[in-house]
Amino acid sequence: MKATASSPLKKELRTYAAHKSELLRRVRGKYVLIKGSRIVGTFESELDAAHQGYERFGNVPFLVKQVMEVEVPLDFTSSLLGV
Amino acid sequence: MPGLTVQLADLQAEGPRLEVRLTDTAGAAAPTAVDALIDTGATVTVVANQVLKRLGLSPIGTALVHTPSSTNVRCYKYLVRLVLPNGVGLETVAIGTPLRGQRIQCLIGRDLLKNAVFVYTGQTNTFTLSF
Repeated sequence: MKATASSPLKKELRTYAAHKSELLRRVRGKYVLIKGSRIVGTFESELDAAHQGYERFGNVPFLVKQVMEVEVPLDFTSSLLGV
Repeated sequence: MPGLTVQLADLQAEGPRLEVRLTDTAGAAAPTAVDALIDTGATVTVVANQVLKRLGLSPIGTALVHTPSSTNVRCYKYLVRLVLPNGVGLETVAIGTPLRGQRIQCLIGRDLLKNAVFVYTGQTNTFTLSF
Protein backbone atom coordinates (compact mmCIF):
# COMPACT_ATOMS: atom_id res chain seq x y z
CA MET A 1 0.00 0.00 0.00
CA LYS A 2 1.10 3.54 -0.55
CA ALA A 3 2.41 5.38 2.48
CA THR A 4 0.26 8.46 3.08
CA ALA A 5 0.03 11.41 5.43
CA SER A 6 -2.07 9.25 7.76
CA SER A 7 0.74 6.70 7.81
CA PRO A 8 1.05 4.47 10.86
CA LEU A 9 4.70 5.57 10.81
CA LYS A 10 3.91 9.29 10.81
CA LYS A 11 5.31 9.91 14.29
CA GLU A 12 8.48 7.92 13.61
CA LEU A 13 9.08 9.72 10.31
CA ARG A 14 8.75 13.05 12.12
CA THR A 15 11.26 11.87 14.71
CA TYR A 16 13.70 10.91 11.95
CA ALA A 17 13.29 14.27 10.25
CA ALA A 18 13.87 16.11 13.53
CA HIS A 19 17.13 14.22 14.20
CA LYS A 20 18.36 13.77 10.64
CA SER A 21 21.20 16.32 10.77
CA GLU A 22 22.57 14.86 13.98
CA LEU A 23 22.24 11.29 12.67
CA LEU A 24 24.05 12.20 9.45
CA ARG A 25 26.95 13.53 11.47
CA ARG A 26 27.15 10.52 13.75
CA VAL A 27 25.96 7.42 11.86
CA ARG A 28 25.67 8.20 8.15
CA GLY A 29 24.90 5.07 6.12
CA LYS A 30 23.79 2.99 9.09
CA TYR A 31 20.25 1.94 9.95
CA VAL A 32 18.35 3.65 12.71
CA LEU A 33 15.50 2.05 14.68
CA ILE A 34 12.84 4.49 15.84
CA LYS A 35 9.69 3.88 17.89
CA GLY A 36 7.44 6.88 18.44
CA SER A 37 9.61 9.81 19.37
CA ARG A 38 12.49 7.62 20.59
CA ILE A 39 15.61 6.64 18.70
CA VAL A 40 16.20 3.13 19.97
CA GLY A 41 19.54 2.43 18.31
CA THR A 42 21.62 2.22 15.17
CA PHE A 43 22.62 -0.94 13.32
CA GLU A 44 24.91 -2.09 10.52
CA SER A 45 22.13 -3.76 8.52
CA GLU A 46 18.44 -3.27 7.87
CA LEU A 47 17.67 -6.84 8.94
CA ASP A 48 19.50 -6.42 12.25
CA ALA A 49 17.50 -3.30 13.00
CA ALA A 50 14.23 -4.97 11.99
CA HIS A 51 14.91 -8.01 14.17
CA GLN A 52 15.71 -5.81 17.12
CA GLY A 53 12.47 -3.91 16.55
CA TYR A 54 10.45 -7.12 16.57
CA GLU A 55 12.22 -8.36 19.69
CA ARG A 56 11.55 -5.15 21.58
CA PHE A 57 8.12 -4.15 20.31
CA GLY A 58 6.58 -7.14 18.56
CA ASN A 59 4.41 -6.93 15.45
CA VAL A 60 3.56 -3.23 15.65
CA PRO A 61 4.65 -0.34 13.44
CA PHE A 62 8.16 0.92 14.03
CA LEU A 63 10.63 2.59 11.70
CA VAL A 64 13.88 1.23 10.31
CA LYS A 65 15.58 3.77 8.09
CA GLN A 66 18.99 4.13 6.51
CA VAL A 67 20.58 7.41 7.48
CA MET A 68 21.23 9.16 4.17
CA GLU A 69 21.26 12.72 2.92
CA VAL A 70 18.96 11.86 0.02
CA GLU A 71 16.80 8.75 -0.16
CA VAL A 72 17.60 6.58 -3.19
CA PRO A 73 14.50 5.20 -4.95
CA LEU A 74 14.23 1.45 -5.58
CA ASP A 75 13.92 0.47 -9.24
CA PHE A 76 11.57 -2.14 -10.65
CA THR A 77 11.44 -2.97 -14.35
CA SER A 78 8.38 -5.19 -14.03
CA SER A 79 4.99 -3.86 -15.07
CA LEU A 80 3.41 -6.20 -12.51
CA LEU A 81 3.73 -3.54 -9.81
CA GLY A 82 0.41 -1.74 -9.53
CA VAL A 83 1.76 1.61 -8.41
CA MET B 1 24.57 -24.64 -0.80
CA PRO B 2 21.13 -26.33 -1.00
CA GLY B 3 19.45 -25.83 -4.34
CA LEU B 4 16.27 -26.66 -6.14
CA THR B 5 15.54 -27.13 -9.80
CA VAL B 6 12.15 -26.26 -11.26
CA GLN B 7 10.90 -27.37 -14.67
CA LEU B 8 8.01 -25.54 -16.31
CA ALA B 9 6.04 -26.32 -19.45
CA ASP B 10 7.10 -23.04 -21.06
CA LEU B 11 9.73 -21.12 -19.14
CA GLN B 12 9.77 -18.25 -21.63
CA ALA B 13 6.01 -17.68 -21.33
CA GLU B 14 5.71 -18.21 -17.57
CA GLY B 15 9.02 -16.85 -16.36
CA PRO B 16 11.04 -18.41 -13.56
CA ARG B 17 8.23 -18.87 -11.04
CA LEU B 18 7.85 -21.15 -8.08
CA GLU B 19 5.58 -21.57 -5.10
CA VAL B 20 6.92 -20.18 -1.84
CA ARG B 21 5.41 -19.95 1.62
CA LEU B 22 5.34 -16.51 3.20
CA THR B 23 5.11 -15.88 6.92
CA ASP B 24 6.33 -13.56 9.64
CA THR B 25 9.74 -14.04 11.20
CA ALA B 26 8.31 -15.00 14.59
CA GLY B 27 6.29 -17.85 13.11
CA ALA B 28 3.08 -16.44 14.60
CA ALA B 29 1.27 -16.03 11.28
CA ALA B 30 -0.04 -19.04 9.40
CA PRO B 31 2.16 -19.52 6.32
CA THR B 32 0.56 -18.47 3.05
CA ALA B 33 1.52 -20.24 -0.17
CA VAL B 34 1.94 -17.87 -3.12
CA ASP B 35 3.37 -17.95 -6.62
CA ALA B 36 6.63 -16.01 -6.76
CA LEU B 37 8.55 -14.82 -9.79
CA ILE B 38 12.32 -14.50 -9.71
CA ASP B 39 12.84 -10.96 -10.94
CA THR B 40 16.37 -9.72 -11.60
CA GLY B 41 14.84 -6.35 -12.50
CA ALA B 42 13.61 -5.81 -8.94
CA THR B 43 16.01 -4.07 -6.58
CA VAL B 44 14.30 -5.71 -3.62
CA THR B 45 11.63 -8.33 -2.99
CA VAL B 46 7.98 -7.34 -3.38
CA VAL B 47 4.94 -8.92 -1.75
CA ALA B 48 1.34 -8.18 -2.73
CA ASN B 49 -0.50 -6.01 -0.22
CA GLN B 50 -3.34 -8.51 0.09
CA VAL B 51 -0.91 -11.20 1.23
CA LEU B 52 0.69 -8.89 3.78
CA LYS B 53 -2.77 -8.05 5.08
CA ARG B 54 -3.58 -11.75 5.41
CA LEU B 55 -0.36 -12.26 7.39
CA GLY B 56 -1.25 -9.33 9.65
CA LEU B 57 2.16 -7.71 9.36
CA SER B 58 2.86 -4.16 10.49
CA PRO B 59 5.04 -1.81 8.42
CA ILE B 60 8.60 -1.18 9.56
CA GLY B 61 9.61 1.48 7.07
CA THR B 62 8.94 3.21 3.81
CA ALA B 63 10.70 3.35 0.47
CA LEU B 64 10.47 5.37 -2.72
CA VAL B 65 9.67 3.19 -5.71
CA HIS B 66 10.28 3.70 -9.43
CA THR B 67 8.41 1.53 -11.95
CA PRO B 68 8.00 1.77 -15.74
CA SER B 69 4.80 3.75 -15.19
CA SER B 70 5.49 5.79 -12.07
CA THR B 71 8.22 7.51 -10.11
CA ASN B 72 8.76 8.29 -6.45
CA VAL B 73 5.78 6.35 -5.11
CA ARG B 74 6.19 5.88 -1.37
CA CYS B 75 5.44 2.34 -0.24
CA TYR B 76 5.66 0.50 3.06
CA LYS B 77 8.31 -2.07 3.94
CA TYR B 78 7.71 -5.28 5.90
CA LEU B 79 9.93 -7.90 7.49
CA VAL B 80 8.94 -11.23 5.91
CA ARG B 81 10.14 -14.81 5.79
CA LEU B 82 10.01 -16.84 2.57
CA VAL B 83 10.30 -20.60 2.62
CA LEU B 84 11.31 -22.26 -0.65
CA PRO B 85 9.93 -25.66 -1.72
CA ASN B 86 13.16 -27.31 -0.53
CA GLY B 87 12.68 -25.91 2.97
CA VAL B 88 15.27 -23.14 2.77
CA GLY B 89 14.05 -20.12 4.75
CA LEU B 90 14.97 -16.57 3.75
CA GLU B 91 14.30 -13.38 5.67
CA THR B 92 14.19 -9.98 4.07
CA VAL B 93 12.63 -6.55 4.21
CA ALA B 94 10.15 -6.50 1.32
CA ILE B 95 8.12 -3.77 -0.32
CA GLY B 96 4.34 -4.02 -0.19
CA THR B 97 2.48 -2.98 -3.33
CA PRO B 98 -0.52 -4.11 -5.32
CA LEU B 99 0.56 -6.65 -7.95
CA ARG B 100 -1.27 -6.75 -11.26
CA GLY B 101 -2.77 -10.03 -12.41
CA GLN B 102 -4.10 -12.90 -10.39
CA ARG B 103 -1.19 -15.25 -10.29
CA ILE B 104 2.08 -13.72 -9.13
CA GLN B 105 1.95 -12.41 -5.55
CA CYS B 106 5.65 -12.08 -4.85
CA LEU B 107 8.69 -10.90 -6.80
CA ILE B 108 11.97 -12.32 -5.53
CA GLY B 109 14.38 -9.44 -5.99
CA ARG B 110 18.10 -8.81 -5.93
CA ASP B 111 18.15 -8.38 -2.14
CA LEU B 112 17.74 -12.17 -1.92
CA LEU B 113 19.47 -13.04 -5.18
CA LYS B 114 22.67 -11.38 -3.96
CA ASN B 115 23.22 -14.50 -1.84
CA ALA B 116 22.12 -16.97 -4.52
CA VAL B 117 23.24 -18.84 -7.58
CA PHE B 118 20.50 -18.60 -10.19
CA VAL B 119 20.83 -20.67 -13.36
CA TYR B 120 18.27 -20.15 -16.14
CA THR B 121 18.39 -22.97 -18.67
CA GLY B 122 16.00 -22.00 -21.43
CA GLN B 123 16.77 -25.01 -23.62
CA THR B 124 15.29 -27.41 -21.04
CA ASN B 125 12.66 -25.05 -19.55
CA THR B 126 14.33 -25.32 -16.17
CA PHE B 127 15.92 -23.02 -13.66
CA THR B 128 17.96 -23.74 -10.57
CA LEU B 129 18.12 -21.58 -7.47
CA SER B 130 20.66 -22.23 -4.74
CA PHE B 131 21.27 -20.40 -1.47
